[in-house]
This record gives sequence, C-alpha cells and structure tokens, in this order.
Amino acid sequence: MKDLLIASGQDGREKALSRFLAKLLEVGAVDGLVVPVEAAAGVITHVLAKDPRLVERAGRPLAPVMPSSAATVVSEIVRKRPSGRVAALLRPCEARALVELIKLKQATPENVVAISMDCAGTYDPVLYREAGGNVDGLEAREACRVCLNPAPLEDALPGMVLGLIGLDDCEDVVVSVHERLDPAVAAVVEELGLASGEDAGRRRKASVQALVQERQRAYDRFIEDARRKAVSAGSGPTVRDVSGVSDRFGLEAFARELAACTGCHNCRVACPVCYCKECVFDTDTFEYEAGQFLRKAGRKGALKMPSETVLYHLTRMNHMSLSCVGCGQCEQACPAHLPLFRLFAMASRRTQEVFGYVPGMSLDDKLPFSTFREQELEPR
Amino acid sequence: MGSGEEFEPRIVAFLCNWCTYTGADLAGVSRMQYPPNVRPIRVMCSGSVDPMYILKALLDGADGVLVGGCHPGDCHYVSGNYKARRRLAVLGAILDEFGIGRDRVWFRFISASEGALFANTVRDMTAALKALGPNPARALWLA
Repeated sequence: MKDLLIASGQDGREKALSRFLAKLLEVGAVDGLVVPVEAAAGVITHVLAKDPRLVERAGRPLAPVMPSSAATVVSEIVRKRPSGRVAALLRPCEARALVELIKLKQATPENVVAISMDCAGTYDPVLYREAGGNVDGLEAREACRVCLNPAPLEDALPGMVLGLIGLDDCEDVVVSVHERLDPAVAAVVEELGLASGEDAGRRRKASVQALVQERQRAYDRFIEDARRKAVSAGSGPTVRDVSGVSDRFGLEAFARELAACTGCHNCRVACPVCYCKECVFDTDTFEYEAGQFLRKAGRKGALKMPSETVLYHLTRMNHMSLSCVGCGQCEQACPAHLPLFRLFAMASRRTQEVFGYVPGMSLDDKLPFSTFREQELEPR
Repeated sequence: MGSGEEFEPRIVAFLCNWCTYTGADLAGVSRMQYPPNVRPIRVMCSGSVDPMYILKALLDGADGVLVGGCHPGDCHYVSGNYKARRRLAVLGAILDEFGIGRDRVWFRFISASEGALFANTVRDMTAALKALGPNPARALWLA
C-alpha cells in the first residue's frame, strides 16, 4: 500500500473527493463510476456515472446514508464481465458484501475497481431525508454503532482505500493505493502528483485501531443485551393452553419478536447477499388451500396471517447468515421496524463461528457451504 | 392426545434413497420391531434436505426430525452427506442461539445394510422425545 493525500482545499473534503473521482472518469481511467449523489435535499441515491461534471456537481461520496447497499448495485451492473472498467465507491460493509457476491458468482471481480472508504456510520435514509440532510439530533443506525469494520479490509478487494478516520473534517483524505490496483488507474493516480500521505496514514491507522477496540466493546454489550432480551421474553397470549407445555420457551419469544412481520420480503430485497433469482417464498410452494389453512389453524387454535413468516426468517438465516456482513439493510428496509439486525447478528455470530468464517475477508476463503472436510462437526 | 394417554412423539424422517431409506426397508423386511412414531420421507440425498424442510416440520408441530444419510465416503453423489452435515451444523447453531430446540433434530449416518441401526435409532429418538415432551410449536399460533 502506498499512502497519498488528496488536499481538501477550500470547499471541503467531500468536494475534493468528488473532483478526484470525477478525474478518474474524465481521463478515461474508468468507464463508469458507482457513486452516491444528492437528487434533492437529503435524498441520496446511487448512480452509475459517466459524466464527470455530474460527479463533481452532485456527487456525495461522504453522504452519511446507505439508501441501498452498493454491493447490490455493483452486482446488478457486473453480473457478467463488463466490457469496460467500472469503479465503485464502497463502504466497508458494501465491499465485504461484494466479496461475498463475487464468491456466490453474482458479480465478476475483473474490471471492477474498488474504491473502499472509511465509514463513520450512516443514518436512516428516511429520517435523513425528512431532516433535509441535516444530521443534528439524528442517531446513527444500530448496525453502524456496533460495526466492527469501520475501515475497509485492504486486501479483500485490491484497489484504493480512502482513509478518513482520525483525520478531522477539514483535513485531507489519505488515499492508499494497493499494489494490485489496475495499472491504468494507478497510472492516473500517479499523474495527479499527490503529496505523500505517510504521516497522515500512520495517524489514521492508530485511530482505526482505537475505534475498532471501542466498537468491539459496544458490540459485546449489544450481543449480551440481545441474548438477554431473547431468553427473558415473558409469556404472551397463547390461544390454546396445552397441559404440560410451558408458555415460556425460545420459539415463542422469537416468534413474538417477528409477530408484526407483514411478509413483504423487503428485507430479502434489501439484503446485499440474498441473491436467488427466484426465492422459494415467492413461488407457489406456500400457497395452501383453504382446508390446509383451516386444519393448521385448528391444530394451533389460530394461525398468524400472513403465514410462514417465522419460517421465512429462520430459512433466510439458514441460507444467508454465513455471508451476513451486518450492514443492517434488512432492518432499514423493514416497514414494521422489526429488530432484524439484532436477530441476524445473533444468528450470524453463531453460524460464522462454526466454521471460523469471516464474510468479506478474502476472495480465497471458500464459502462454507461450497466445501467440506472429511472429519469435522462430530458428534453431530 | 387425551389426558392419561402416553405422549407419542411424531418424527418426520428425511431418508436418503441410497442408504438410510434402504436401511429402513431392510429393518422392515427383516421384521425388526421399532416404534411406529416415524413418518419417512424418501429423498434422493441427505444433501438435498434444505433446512427449510426441517424447520417447516418443526414449526408445524413435528416433535422431532430425523435426517438419515450415507456414511462418510459412501454418498452416491460423492459429497452430499458432508454438505448436509454442514447445513445441519448451521441449523443447530441457529436453533441453539434462540433456544428453539436443537435436540429435536437428529442427523444420522445409516447404511443400506444397517436395518438394526435404523430400528435402534428410531427407538432411541422416540424415547428421547418422550422425555423432552411435545413440541410446543404445535400449539403456537404465532409460528
């Protein structure tokens, strides 16, 4: 890695960054750029930019919201190998999700220039919009407050890292250029004649370390709290009392957490790693006949409708928790404000532990479900 | 289940066509006695058992789910049983985390020649589930 400095200049570091990104387009180092822009006050969306002037004018590389995961956006563009080079500005969780999507064969790494950046956390996009882009009084999303990866993993997607942590708002931005960055892009960066950022790079590294430690403590408290909530959930209304069946048990508490689910599947759509072209929950598999519904309702005394919502969430945990990067997009997308981030964080912590798998860490680590060992996981 | 009657657990069993299902068949043709609590579903491979099927059975009130596959190295499709072992480990971790009852899900390697092992497994599982009691999900309208 080679550390350089983007001078923040008079109009601030975000403008300076936008100009830097626009330059990559302008000189043809990349053919397209995925970057957030501001469409109206407080309204942020990703675009695939071709025109450098648009990036300079409306680019919001530091917008503190994640309307959707850039990993989803990039995957949509480069599902098949693109003919040109596409650069993408990625938050750490977006970069990690993209690594998972590449491993799941939902994106091609060739011709993608990853520009990962430090992330100070994001706000709920709706609240941010309602506040007209003014973040005073807004609280960062829970997923961001306990995020263990505020800085990108440098080797996961070799490209550039934009360092911000530990450098105050009006300061310059450190650009760390990876040895394996596409030579054409590296040449352009070289030509910009940026000053050395070694000193600022060192300061940033120390701040990142301190921040990660602080986050680790926040995360540990969060998990402890989440598990306490899960086990201490008290008894609720059970329609039918079966003798010998305690009304205090795990499934009931779990189901009550999800009881407000409307079955809209927004969490799945927003999830950057949930990738099936057609989800089994969108097929007619669960379209029962009236008699089947009635029999099941008869057995249980009543049936929560829409039905199979608990099955849906548990299935998604089984299918996707190994690749869960903890971005919290599921919860952000939920109209019922279910605590999906908390539940998925609990599940993925456990399942990733089984294989010592860290999603997004490396393109070389095999997905746990795609491989196996002769001897493992015994006794079953 | 009326009062006074002994609780008879219902076990849904996903059995691999090449090994465990044939093993269960052998138990039958050999006239081995084992509890009638098991409802077998023949699948082509234990690796084809999506955790969703197991969860569906559990949430609908099955007291236990048995997945039977070939012994390591014997899978008709080379590695389906190893993949199943990984999926089941993930399912178990999730059920454990939320206290939903990992102990109701058994995964066993039973070959086509092990009719007695199949019969014993069903016997053991039935006894274990009787000790565990009925699956509370059966009467839970929330799930």
